[in-house]
Amino acid sequence: MQKNVIKNTAEIVWFTLVLLSIFAFSLGYVNCINPIVVSILLISTFIKGQVVIDYFMGLKYVQLRYRFIPTAWLFTIILLISVAYYLPT
Amino acid sequence: MTKQHAIKVPYPPGDFAIWIIIYVELLTFGLLFVGYAFSRRADVELFNASQLLLNQTSGFVNTLILITSSYFIVKAVQSIKTMSKDTEIQTNDTASKWLLYAMLLGLVFLTIKILEFSHIFGAGITLSTNTFFMFYLLLTLFHFMHVVLGLIILWNIYQKTKTAGYSSDDYSGIETGASYWHLVDLLWIVLFPLVYIIK
Repeated sequence: MQKNVIKNTAEIVWFTLVLLSIFAFSLGYVNCINPIVVSILLISTFIKGQVVIDYFMGLKYVQLRYRFIPTAWLFTIILLISVAYYLPT
Repeated sequence: MTKQHAIKVPYPPGDFAIWIIIYVELLTFGLLFVGYAFSRRADVELFNASQLLLNQTSGFVNTLILITSSYFIVKAVQSIKTMSKDTEIQTNDTASKWLLYAMLLGLVFLTIKILEFSHIFGAGITLSTNTFFMFYLLLTLFHFMHVVLGLIILWNIYQKTKTAGYSSDDYSGIETGASYWHLVDLLWIVLFPLVYIIK
Protein backbone atom coordinates (compact mmCIF):
# COMPACT_ATOMS: atom_id res chain seq x y z
CA MET A 1 0.00 0.00 0.00
CA GLN A 2 2.59 2.46 1.19
CA LYS A 3 4.85 1.42 -1.67
CA ASN A 4 2.18 2.13 -4.28
CA VAL A 5 1.36 5.58 -2.98
CA ILE A 6 5.02 6.59 -2.88
CA LYS A 7 5.54 5.12 -6.34
CA ASN A 8 2.64 7.11 -7.77
CA THR A 9 3.60 10.36 -6.13
CA ALA A 10 7.41 10.42 -6.42
CA GLU A 11 7.40 12.03 -9.87
CA ILE A 12 4.74 14.58 -8.89
CA VAL A 13 6.68 15.44 -5.75
CA TRP A 14 9.93 15.87 -7.70
CA PHE A 15 8.18 18.06 -10.28
CA THR A 16 6.56 20.20 -7.55
CA LEU A 17 9.92 20.69 -5.83
CA VAL A 18 11.57 21.67 -9.11
CA LEU A 19 8.79 24.14 -9.96
CA LEU A 20 8.93 25.80 -6.53
CA SER A 21 12.73 26.00 -6.76
CA ILE A 22 12.54 27.65 -10.18
CA PHE A 23 9.97 30.07 -8.76
CA ALA A 24 12.25 30.97 -5.82
CA PHE A 25 15.28 31.40 -8.04
CA SER A 26 13.34 33.55 -10.52
CA LEU A 27 12.32 35.93 -7.75
CA GLY A 28 15.94 36.32 -6.69
CA TYR A 29 17.20 36.53 -10.27
CA VAL A 30 14.91 39.42 -11.26
CA ASN A 31 15.73 40.98 -7.90
CA CYS A 32 12.09 41.51 -6.99
CA ILE A 33 12.53 40.77 -3.30
CA ASN A 34 10.24 42.80 -1.06
CA PRO A 35 8.41 41.94 2.19
CA ILE A 36 5.39 40.42 0.39
CA VAL A 37 7.59 38.36 -1.91
CA VAL A 38 9.61 37.16 1.10
CA SER A 39 6.36 35.89 2.65
CA ILE A 40 5.55 33.97 -0.52
CA LEU A 41 9.12 32.66 -0.64
CA LEU A 42 8.97 31.45 2.96
CA ILE A 43 5.59 29.77 2.43
CA SER A 44 6.94 28.02 -0.68
CA THR A 45 10.00 26.92 1.36
CA PHE A 46 7.68 25.48 4.01
CA ILE A 47 5.70 23.60 1.34
CA LYS A 48 8.91 22.22 -0.19
CA GLY A 49 10.24 21.12 3.18
CA GLN A 50 6.95 19.51 4.16
CA VAL A 51 6.76 17.66 0.85
CA VAL A 52 10.26 16.24 1.44
CA ILE A 53 9.32 15.26 5.02
CA ASP A 54 6.05 13.62 3.96
CA TYR A 55 6.91 11.88 0.71
CA PHE A 56 10.70 11.56 0.35
CA MET A 57 11.35 10.78 4.02
CA GLY A 58 8.09 8.83 4.06
CA LEU A 59 6.84 10.27 7.35
CA LYS A 60 3.31 10.81 6.07
CA TYR A 61 2.61 7.13 6.67
CA VAL A 62 4.24 6.94 10.09
CA GLN A 63 2.75 7.60 13.52
CA LEU A 64 2.15 11.30 14.02
CA ARG A 65 4.82 11.92 16.66
CA TYR A 66 7.64 11.09 14.25
CA ARG A 67 6.21 13.35 11.57
CA PHE A 68 5.44 16.08 14.08
CA ILE A 69 9.07 16.68 15.08
CA PRO A 70 10.45 17.70 11.64
CA THR A 71 7.20 19.51 10.77
CA ALA A 72 7.32 21.50 14.01
CA TRP A 73 11.01 22.18 13.36
CA LEU A 74 10.29 23.47 9.86
CA PHE A 75 7.35 25.59 11.02
CA THR A 76 9.35 27.10 13.90
CA ILE A 77 12.36 27.87 11.72
CA ILE A 78 10.26 29.55 9.04
CA LEU A 79 8.30 31.45 11.70
CA LEU A 80 11.48 32.70 13.41
CA ILE A 81 13.04 33.70 10.09
CA SER A 82 9.83 35.66 9.38
CA VAL A 83 9.96 37.32 12.80
CA ALA A 84 13.60 38.28 12.25
CA TYR A 85 12.72 39.68 8.82
CA TYR A 86 9.57 41.60 9.69
CA LEU A 87 10.19 42.76 13.25
CA PRO A 88 10.92 46.48 13.21
CA THR A 89 14.50 47.34 14.15
CA MET B 1 -5.65 4.23 -1.37
CA THR B 2 -6.29 6.85 1.30
CA LYS B 3 -8.24 4.44 3.50
CA GLN B 4 -5.42 1.95 3.41
CA HIS B 5 -3.12 4.66 4.70
CA ALA B 6 -5.33 5.46 7.66
CA ILE B 7 -3.30 2.81 9.50
CA LYS B 8 0.04 4.39 10.25
CA VAL B 9 3.21 2.36 10.57
CA PRO B 10 4.65 2.51 14.11
CA TYR B 11 8.21 3.59 13.28
CA PRO B 12 9.85 5.82 10.65
CA PRO B 13 11.74 4.15 7.77
CA GLY B 14 15.19 2.70 8.46
CA ASP B 15 17.02 2.20 11.73
CA PHE B 16 15.60 4.23 14.58
CA ALA B 17 19.10 5.49 15.46
CA ILE B 18 19.29 7.48 12.23
CA TRP B 19 16.16 9.40 13.30
CA ILE B 20 17.82 10.42 16.55
CA ILE B 21 20.73 11.71 14.46
CA ILE B 22 18.32 13.44 12.04
CA TYR B 23 16.47 15.22 14.87
CA VAL B 24 19.77 16.37 16.40
CA GLU B 25 20.98 17.63 13.02
CA LEU B 26 17.72 19.53 12.52
CA LEU B 27 18.20 21.21 15.88
CA THR B 28 21.81 22.13 15.14
CA PHE B 29 21.10 23.57 11.71
CA GLY B 30 17.94 25.22 13.05
CA LEU B 31 19.99 27.19 15.55
CA LEU B 32 22.35 28.31 12.79
CA PHE B 33 19.44 29.32 10.52
CA VAL B 34 17.80 31.36 13.27
CA GLY B 35 21.19 32.79 14.28
CA TYR B 36 21.72 33.90 10.69
CA ALA B 37 18.25 35.46 10.46
CA PHE B 38 18.59 37.50 13.66
CA SER B 39 22.20 38.51 12.94
CA ARG B 40 21.04 39.74 9.55
CA ARG B 41 18.45 41.86 11.29
CA ALA B 42 21.22 43.61 13.22
CA ASP B 43 23.05 44.65 10.04
CA VAL B 44 20.82 44.30 6.99
CA GLU B 45 22.99 46.45 4.73
CA LEU B 46 26.12 44.40 5.39
CA PHE B 47 24.28 41.14 4.75
CA ASN B 48 22.70 42.41 1.51
CA ALA B 49 26.02 43.76 0.22
CA SER B 50 27.89 40.55 1.11
CA GLN B 51 25.16 38.41 -0.44
CA LEU B 52 25.87 40.04 -3.82
CA LEU B 53 29.21 38.20 -3.88
CA LEU B 54 27.41 34.84 -3.90
CA ASN B 55 26.46 33.07 -7.08
CA GLN B 56 22.69 32.54 -6.93
CA THR B 57 22.75 30.43 -10.09
CA SER B 58 25.11 27.85 -8.60
CA GLY B 59 22.94 27.74 -5.47
CA PHE B 60 19.88 27.15 -7.64
CA VAL B 61 21.59 24.46 -9.73
CA ASN B 62 22.67 22.76 -6.52
CA THR B 63 19.06 22.85 -5.29
CA LEU B 64 17.90 21.06 -8.45
CA ILE B 65 20.76 18.58 -8.12
CA LEU B 66 19.90 17.64 -4.53
CA ILE B 67 16.16 17.40 -5.25
CA THR B 68 16.79 15.14 -8.23
CA SER B 69 19.32 13.10 -6.30
CA SER B 70 16.75 12.59 -3.53
CA TYR B 71 14.23 11.49 -6.16
CA PHE B 72 16.70 8.89 -7.48
CA ILE B 73 17.12 7.59 -3.92
CA VAL B 74 13.33 7.28 -3.62
CA LYS B 75 13.35 5.23 -6.84
CA ALA B 76 16.11 2.97 -5.47
CA VAL B 77 14.20 2.36 -2.22
CA GLN B 78 10.94 1.78 -4.10
CA SER B 79 12.49 -0.82 -6.34
CA ILE B 80 13.89 -2.75 -3.37
CA LYS B 81 10.65 -2.58 -1.36
CA THR B 82 8.46 -3.72 -4.23
CA MET B 83 10.62 -6.57 -5.54
CA SER B 84 9.57 -10.20 -5.49
CA LYS B 85 11.72 -13.13 -4.34
CA ASP B 86 12.50 -14.28 -7.86
CA THR B 87 13.71 -10.87 -9.06
CA GLU B 88 16.07 -10.02 -6.22
CA ILE B 89 19.23 -9.90 -8.33
CA GLN B 90 17.72 -7.77 -11.10
CA THR B 91 16.02 -5.45 -8.63
CA ASN B 92 19.20 -4.94 -6.61
CA ASP B 93 20.89 -4.14 -9.90
CA THR B 94 18.20 -1.58 -10.75
CA ALA B 95 18.51 -0.04 -7.29
CA SER B 96 22.28 0.15 -7.66
CA LYS B 97 21.82 2.15 -10.87
CA TRP B 98 19.51 4.66 -9.15
CA LEU B 99 22.00 4.91 -6.29
CA LEU B 100 24.85 5.48 -8.73
CA TYR B 101 22.93 8.32 -10.44
CA ALA B 102 22.19 9.85 -7.04
CA MET B 103 25.84 9.64 -6.00
CA LEU B 104 27.00 11.18 -9.28
CA LEU B 105 24.67 14.11 -8.67
CA GLY B 106 26.04 14.35 -5.13
CA LEU B 107 29.54 14.60 -6.59
CA VAL B 108 28.39 17.33 -9.00
CA PHE B 109 26.95 19.19 -5.99
CA LEU B 110 30.30 18.96 -4.20
CA THR B 111 32.19 20.09 -7.31
CA ILE B 112 30.00 23.17 -7.67
CA LYS B 113 30.42 23.96 -3.97
CA ILE B 114 34.22 23.55 -4.22
CA LEU B 115 34.24 25.99 -7.15
CA GLU B 116 32.13 28.40 -5.13
CA PHE B 117 34.40 28.07 -2.10
CA SER B 118 37.51 28.58 -4.23
CA HIS B 119 35.95 31.77 -5.61
CA ILE B 120 35.09 32.97 -2.09
CA PHE B 121 38.46 32.06 -0.56
CA GLY B 122 40.24 33.39 -3.66
CA ALA B 123 38.66 36.77 -2.97
CA GLY B 124 40.34 36.72 0.43
CA ILE B 125 37.13 36.03 2.32
CA THR B 126 37.39 34.00 5.51
CA LEU B 127 35.23 33.17 8.53
CA SER B 128 36.35 36.39 10.18
CA THR B 129 35.66 38.70 7.21
CA ASN B 130 32.24 39.66 8.53
CA THR B 131 29.16 38.15 10.22
CA PHE B 132 27.48 37.25 6.92
CA PHE B 133 30.44 35.24 5.68
CA MET B 134 30.94 33.66 9.08
CA PHE B 135 27.40 32.26 8.86
CA TYR B 136 27.63 31.53 5.14
CA LEU B 137 30.83 29.52 5.54
CA LEU B 138 29.67 27.80 8.73
CA LEU B 139 26.36 26.74 7.19
CA THR B 140 27.63 25.73 3.77
CA LEU B 141 30.83 24.00 4.98
CA PHE B 142 28.85 22.12 7.62
CA HIS B 143 26.28 21.13 5.00
CA PHE B 144 29.12 20.18 2.62
CA MET B 145 30.46 17.75 5.23
CA HIS B 146 26.98 16.23 5.55
CA VAL B 147 26.87 15.67 1.79
CA VAL B 148 30.27 13.96 1.97
CA LEU B 149 29.04 11.71 4.80
CA GLY B 150 25.83 11.04 2.88
CA LEU B 151 27.87 9.95 -0.15
CA ILE B 152 29.95 7.58 2.00
CA ILE B 153 26.73 6.03 3.34
CA LEU B 154 25.25 5.76 -0.17
CA TRP B 155 28.47 4.17 -1.44
CA ASN B 156 28.18 1.45 1.20
CA ILE B 157 24.54 0.83 0.29
CA TYR B 158 25.54 0.76 -3.38
CA GLN B 159 28.17 -1.90 -2.64
CA LYS B 160 25.53 -4.01 -0.90
CA THR B 161 23.13 -3.73 -3.84
CA LYS B 162 25.94 -4.90 -6.14
CA THR B 163 26.02 -8.16 -4.18
CA ALA B 164 22.20 -8.37 -4.16
CA GLY B 165 22.32 -7.80 -0.42
CA TYR B 166 18.80 -6.42 -0.04
CA SER B 167 15.56 -8.35 -0.19
CA SER B 168 11.88 -7.48 0.14
CA ASP B 169 12.17 -8.57 3.78
CA ASP B 170 15.46 -6.84 4.56
CA TYR B 171 15.74 -3.28 3.30
CA SER B 172 16.23 -1.33 6.51
CA GLY B 173 19.79 -0.40 5.52
CA ILE B 174 18.82 1.33 2.29
CA GLU B 175 15.97 3.16 4.06
CA THR B 176 18.40 4.37 6.73
CA GLY B 177 20.80 5.81 4.15
CA ALA B 178 17.90 7.29 2.18
CA SER B 179 16.52 9.06 5.26
CA TYR B 180 19.91 10.67 5.88
CA TRP B 181 20.20 11.78 2.26
CA HIS B 182 16.72 13.35 2.38
CA LEU B 183 17.81 15.24 5.51
CA VAL B 184 20.69 16.73 3.51
CA ASP B 185 18.14 17.76 0.86
CA LEU B 186 15.73 19.23 3.44
CA LEU B 187 18.47 21.33 5.03
CA TRP B 188 19.51 22.75 1.65
CA ILE B 189 15.87 23.58 0.83
CA VAL B 190 15.84 25.98 3.81
CA LEU B 191 19.44 27.15 3.38
CA PHE B 192 19.14 28.19 -0.27
CA PRO B 193 16.42 30.87 -0.01
CA LEU B 194 17.66 32.05 3.39
CA VAL B 195 21.28 32.67 2.41
CA TYR B 196 21.13 33.17 -1.36
CA ILE B 197 17.79 34.86 -2.07
CA ILE B 198 16.16 36.72 0.81
CA LYS B 199 17.34 40.31 0.92
